[in-house]
Amino acid sequence: MSKVIVVDNGGGLIKAGQGGERDPTTILPNCMYRPLSSKKFQHCHPINATATVTEDLTSASIRRPIDRGYLINPDLQRDIWAHLFSNLLRINPTHHSLLLTEPLFTLPSIQRSTDELVFEDFNFTSLFVADSPSLVHLYEASRRPYSLISKAQSSLVLDCGFSFSHAAPVFQNFTINYGVKRIDLGGKALTNYLKELVSYRSLNVMDETFLIDEVKEKLCFVSLDVPRDLQIARKTGKDNLFRCTYVLPDGVTHMKGFVKDPQAARRYLSLPDGATHRPLEIETDMDQPEVIEIAEDRKKVDFTKNEFDLTNERFLVPEMIFHPADLGMNQAGLAECVVRAVNACHPHLHPVLYESIILTGGSTLFPQFAQRLEMELRPLVPDNYQVKITTQEDPILGVWRGGSLLASSPDFEAMCVTKADYEEQGSARCRRRFFH
Amino acid sequence: MEDDSSNPFRRMSSRTRKVASKMAAALASTDNRTQAALARLDALENDNVGIETVEINSNDEDSFDDDDQVYLQKKQSKGSKRKTRQAKALENARKAPRTFLELLHEANLESLPSHVPSYLRAAVGPPNSSSRRRFCSVCGFTSNYTCVKCGMRFCSRRCQSIHNDTRCQKFVA
Repeated sequence: MSKVIVVDNGGGLIKAGQGGERDPTTILPNCMYRPLSSKKFQHCHPINATATVTEDLTSASIRRPIDRGYLINPDLQRDIWAHLFSNLLRINPTHHSLLLTEPLFTLPSIQRSTDELVFEDFNFTSLFVADSPSLVHLYEASRRPYSLISKAQSSLVLDCGFSFSHAAPVFQNFTINYGVKRIDLGGKALTNYLKELVSYRSLNVMDETFLIDEVKEKLCFVSLDVPRDLQIARKTGKDNLFRCTYVLPDGVTHMKGFVKDPQAARRYLSLPDGATHRPLEIETDMDQPEVIEIAEDRKKVDFTKNEFDLTNERFLVPEMIFHPADLGMNQAGLAECVVRAVNACHPHLHPVLYESIILTGGSTLFPQFAQRLEMELRPLVPDNYQVKITTQEDPILGVWRGGSLLASSPDFEAMCVTKADYEEQGSARCRRRFFH
Repeated sequence: MEDDSSNPFRRMSSRTRKVASKMAAALASTDNRTQAALARLDALENDNVGIETVEINSNDEDSFDDDDQVYLQKKQSKGSKRKTRQAKALENARKAPRTFLELLHEANLESLPSHVPSYLRAAVGPPNSSSRRRFCSVCGFTSNYTCVKCGMRFCSRRCQSIHNDTRCQKFVA
């Protein structure tokens, strides 16, 4: 039996590793970049490796093989995969099976080019294509064997990824495809939105995708009461709990940007209804001295120009995913998306689905995301149903772990399409085996 | 190309402003506000603008992989018949990866019967329970006023003048 390689080919990050393991071997940005100083596009470094290599990412141009969640540039993907398989995973694809994730509703033409990539360019012995909601469900159900999710064999997976957000009902390990609802907003659009706001209001950062990505991850959060927070963000001086400064890398002493005062950046958690976060705050007080030392040290350096302030942007950016209409997009927000996905299913499933909502995907990592979702969801759900939102301990890796679990199951081999099948029947017929 | 015609009272310097082609088209059409809004949403999904064309040009000039070898040989065999710029552009367009929207259009999902779930039917659709909230395009706070020229929002006189100076009808991409 050949070993299985599990690849969660996301729009933002590729998560890849051996099936059966707990964590992926490599997490690689799914793009190639070209720094200002070079003419050629280069491969990104995996983000979970020891960060000894310093890359110059300032004003780098980026090419991604995936647009709006779907693989549109197979040539570029081939380059990235070749780098991934030979240099990072160090495997020979001809001796391995592949478990690949694919977004829901992939167009037939894209499926065909994916198959060509897997079988003709890389010569994998066999392929299994899975969709991410069912893998997340599988993982959560196996982690908590006595929970409702695994007893009822159904859940609602809310996947806010890089390119879009899906609310997908899962029943008996299969995604109910007529119930899936999608919002065309994900981490990429949020980063670009933040980029646009910062560029208009303070500094032109339109080319600094990697930098703004980091700013977004470090400083953005989901507001629990937008009008109140807007009022607070208006205040000046110390009353303004949200204002914080991000220092840009100067290329000499700091190769990476950082938050000027990390303590101040967390002040929003002390707001009244952030009650559940109190313990967390005490925790941060404990390591306060260390943090301040760093802050003092960094404050000495005089950055006159290389920094920008963020105030209301910090919560208005993630806000867009809850209210895409604010951007001028004619789409409902996350809470309504969940309700519509549930309503598309059989009424007997409704109470179970509301009680087993699983959050996954990198965009759910914004602080207070789950709380806000529950606040918005509760008024929309009938009184006699419970709403329970489960967060994954690592939402980025949730899909991969489910895939790894599936790959280690004994009947995995039987579910795959082999290269011989593909050569005999072609792409379209093989695809029917995966029921989507 | 300039929007002077739409706005004759505003005196402009004679130096041309760089206007993105999509935006220029949007300005020319009758319902330009919606088109501008759509183009802006589209921009949220972009990486670095205009990167693909740059890449292809440089590829043609300084790297010689198999494709180009064939291309060069063909060129030489044809002798005096040179490739026109248009033909070259066509070739580039063929080589360039198509965008997802083009592929989507090609897949012709509208022709499927209405009960088949597809990419198009999976979109959530318009919101029911909430309407659009307006934020000032300059400072981000709640805004009460709309710019009469371009339809963007602002919240105060101060923001209005900033908007007029920097953003009103200046769509630079």
